[in-house]
Amino acid sequence: MTVQEVMERTGVKNTNLAIAWIRDAIHLIQSNSDDQVATWKTNIVDKTREYPFPSNLIRLQSISVLDTTDSKYKRIKRLVQTPTISEDTDPE
Amino acid sequence: MSYKTNENWFYRVVGRNINLWQSVDGTTVDELAGHKIKLPGSFYGAQLIYPSESIDDGLMFEGTAYIEPFVDVDPSELDGANNPTLTEETVALSTLDEDSHVNLNRFLSLAVCDYVKAMSSDLGGDIPTKEYYMKEFWKKVGDNASNKKIFSLVSTTSPHSVK
Repeated sequence: MTVQEVMERTGVKNTNLAIAWIRDAIHLIQSNSDDQVATWKTNIVDKTREYPFPSNLIRLQSISVLDTTDSKYKRIKRLVQTPTISEDTDPE
Repeated sequence: MSYKTNENWFYRVVGRNINLWQSVDGTTVDELAGHKIKLPGSFYGAQLIYPSESIDDGLMFEGTAYIEPFVDVDPSELDGANNPTLTEETVALSTLDEDSHVNLNRFLSLAVCDYVKAMSSDLGGDIPTKEYYMKEFWKKVGDNASNKKIFSLVSTTSPHSVK
């Protein structure tokens, strides 16, 4: 469906406003269902703890780490509680 | 070398980042004059440590994303017998206009129409109409998700039922 068709069906005359609302709707759809699922890979760096989320990620489904012994990505678990840190070279 | 990463690695969400932790149980041992010694300052016991190695493409995120929201052709129509080849249209490329296609199937595009009507009603202060269209929006989003699920409903028959 084109932007024009959406505008005609809804009676909106401002194109920029219609596009903005369409973007919002897509965001809501992707927040609540799995219409488009993607994967992102990034390097793990020795002794580096923080890794940013992909900028266009909307809803996280899983995080995996490469098992180099059999070259497979395996889902890792989320820590529910903050670990007790005794030594920290990179405090938050 | 990473192994059993599903058992030995953990993450924690911290704002826009994740903190990656590796679980270890043991210590670093070196040999000095034929004697095994634990190095001073090395970790010991069961602990969570920072990643202890570099792995190319070692971390993978999976999730829903904001991918090519507007494209040049109808994503619901086949190109012959093949799926259509979609090219993104954006404001930056000056290709996004009224002729751009919303990159959703027909049903979700109708849901988008409901959302636009809801926002239009909201702008006009008509909250009951907004609520109605938002209900229609979520109904279509839910129906679309159900369309991809195949299930059968099986119910048992009571032995005392009259047939």
